[in-house]
Amino acid sequence: MRKGLLLLAIAIFCVSIVVVLASAATTEEKKFSLEDIPEINDKTAINTIVETGATFDKIVPYVKKFTEKTGVKVNVERVASPVVYSKENLELVAGTGVYDVAYVSNGWSNEWYPYLYDMRELAEQYDPGGVAALESDMKWHSAVVLATENSKGFFHVPFYTYHMGMFIRQDVFDDPTEQADFKVKYGYDLKAATNYVELRDQAEFFTRKKGEMLKGKTLENDIFGVSMMAGAYQINDEFTSYLWGKNQDYVTVMRDDSGKVTEYVITKADQDALLQAMKEYVELLKFASPGCLTANFDFVVADQGQGRAIIQPTMFSNCFVWTNSILQESVVPNDPDAKLGIYPTIGNKPFTGAWGFAVTKAAKNPEAAYWFMRYIGSYECQEVVMKEGGQLTTRMDVLADPVWKNDENIYPFGILVDYLLSSWQDPQFLEFVQEVYYSNSSAEGKVYEMQMNVLAKGASGELTPEKCIKELIRQTVELTSKFDKDAPIRVEE
Amino acid sequence: MSNAKNNATAISTYGLGRKPSIWENLSNEKYFKWILIAPLLIVLLVFMFYPLIYCIYNSFLQGGVSGDSAFIAFENYKYMLRDRSFWIPFSRTAQVAVICIFFELLIGLGLAVLWNRDFKGMNLVRGLVLLPLLVAPLILSLVWNFLLEYNIGFINQIFVTIGIGRIKWWSLQMALYTICGITIWQWFPFSALVLLSGLKSLPKDVFEAARVDGATGWYTFKRLSFPMLSPLIIIIVLLRTMWLVRLFDPLYGTTRGGVGTELLDWMVYRTTFVYFDVGYGSTLAIMSLYLTIIISAILFRQLIKALNTDK
Repeated sequence: MRKGLLLLAIAIFCVSIVVVLASAATTEEKKFSLEDIPEINDKTAINTIVETGATFDKIVPYVKKFTEKTGVKVNVERVASPVVYSKENLELVAGTGVYDVAYVSNGWSNEWYPYLYDMRELAEQYDPGGVAALESDMKWHSAVVLATENSKGFFHVPFYTYHMGMFIRQDVFDDPTEQADFKVKYGYDLKAATNYVELRDQAEFFTRKKGEMLKGKTLENDIFGVSMMAGAYQINDEFTSYLWGKNQDYVTVMRDDSGKVTEYVITKADQDALLQAMKEYVELLKFASPGCLTANFDFVVADQGQGRAIIQPTMFSNCFVWTNSILQESVVPNDPDAKLGIYPTIGNKPFTGAWGFAVTKAAKNPEAAYWFMRYIGSYECQEVVMKEGGQLTTRMDVLADPVWKNDENIYPFGILVDYLLSSWQDPQFLEFVQEVYYSNSSAEGKVYEMQMNVLAKGASGELTPEKCIKELIRQTVELTSKFDKDAPIRVEE
Repeated sequence: MSNAKNNATAISTYGLGRKPSIWENLSNEKYFKWILIAPLLIVLLVFMFYPLIYCIYNSFLQGGVSGDSAFIAFENYKYMLRDRSFWIPFSRTAQVAVICIFFELLIGLGLAVLWNRDFKGMNLVRGLVLLPLLVAPLILSLVWNFLLEYNIGFINQIFVTIGIGRIKWWSLQMALYTICGITIWQWFPFSALVLLSGLKSLPKDVFEAARVDGATGWYTFKRLSFPMLSPLIIIIVLLRTMWLVRLFDPLYGTTRGGVGTELLDWMVYRTTFVYFDVGYGSTLAIMSLYLTIIISAILFRQLIKALNTDK
């Protein structure tokens, strides 16, 4: 009898263990999908805005699926990325309600939070699973969530990342002749640079004239060691990577014991690092095409794609999708061996972040906007963003998909996934990103735009590095004082 | 007829000692003309005067769209006069205006003189030369950015082929002149067209008389054609100055104000719609307007003078 009861108890225990494990496994596998969206009563159409580009084209069928399921039409406005901020800013601040769903780059939510819904507020109101359901799905969005959730709340769902990396011509770096020549000239091995001196040496080494040799073949054109986006478009993203790589920032964020920002200080160390980074940047430009002075990402990608540059020291890791996917097939026309490798930027603290979607407070249909945003951030859509759109998702579960490591996808997706995962699993980096000025100040949007203008002047020689940094500091103080009312800013004398 | 009827109505109503009705008042010529131009006035008030007044009002404020704004009277204007980053684009704009107008007139005049005679394929050539005017300036700036690219740009490829070598079009030393070049390329057909129409309308008998008297081609041009064209030249200078003070598009697709090319209008754009410092941006815009008004007024006086001399 006792034995029977004991066996029964063991059996029940085993069965319950199996049931628990099975349900846990089912829970883990269960991903948010279109089917999880409840009936939306308000059928008012929602409006959103995105950048131009092929990626969103691939999402369009899924937007239609959303409309079929919910009965809510989604109108999508497409604009060039440089005008996204100014266009949205005007509509948001004026409270026009033109956009139900705003397209947001990381730091902007610091500035726009008064005009955006906290996602948790919407989840409580509209999600049958409440905040827990939202957080359960969003947890997959990796480190970038750090930047989407700031001290003011949780405002946007990432769409794709622009985390930066260093792209080198792997075939050139692996070439025995090049390796031997480099070692003779500089006295150390040729490998992806980990500090500025190595990068400068490599930039100099690979800057060659037409008629000289590369990989044992005569060059038909001049080539440059590096390609850089020094124009007044994204120079600040590039510069930020150098600056952060020195473990410094534009401004140091000071907090009290409770973690509240009390003051912004441009410390002596920040000032020194800014000047040093500018001088190094200008020095590096000597080994870049003169076209770099007005270049944006398209130019730099094309420069390396055409085989005219060996290193992109700081480039967005989603660069394979741009310039007609020039980097995807073959890096250099008529050279099937030409391939790229991706490595950490100097100092391994690259500029990072993601474009994402946020629901505006002026939205005419916040309920539909919330579910649209959840759907765009879901596994299903994020897989499409990557597989079909060629952009890089921030969802770790999509990145962890073994499909990226198969023969078809290993180049470039496999190498990019490895890079992103290693970068985002570095706790020191994540902590650093949380503390930078971009992630904390509500003047970030203005300061960011200003930096493009001022840094480009320093890069082109219109201003000396000293004057450029002085101007950068002056304008940072002016804009932060004007647009960030949460904490004062000062320059350490 | 209608007036006579209206007057008769007025006399008869006054004669009867009653006030004219609202319809009688409206049909009176005194009011009727205002009714006719009212739609235009409303459009002008809403779309021209209101934005202008609003811009002037903003120029007395600190801050703008996002953030609190405060009335600071003439502080923005005072700041502007001290602001080095204003005077540099300001002088650059003047430099660009002078260079562009000079070369547009020179090329335009030369072309107009060449066109002022019949030749085979005349219409085709004129049509082709006018093409740059028909394309949106923003598109053109993007196209020129590719054409002038250092490595793969079409222009440099040609220069390499003919042995000149690559030119750094967007270097600090060259970029502003490249912007001028793009602008001149787009706008010289305008000068050519206006001056050609002027040449075509010149009285033939004066030129016949000069020819009979044995005047050379250059002498005829210097003493007859050019003075007679001067009112048109002033009109071109007037219009182009107004447009060049607001030059923006060639920068948008190329340098975006970098490499020493920031002009006044780009600064207005950057300050107002990038930094969203609407107060100071409005001040700059008003300054740009004052500048245009002053130059236009001077040129307008010259135009009137030239027209009177012509008479």
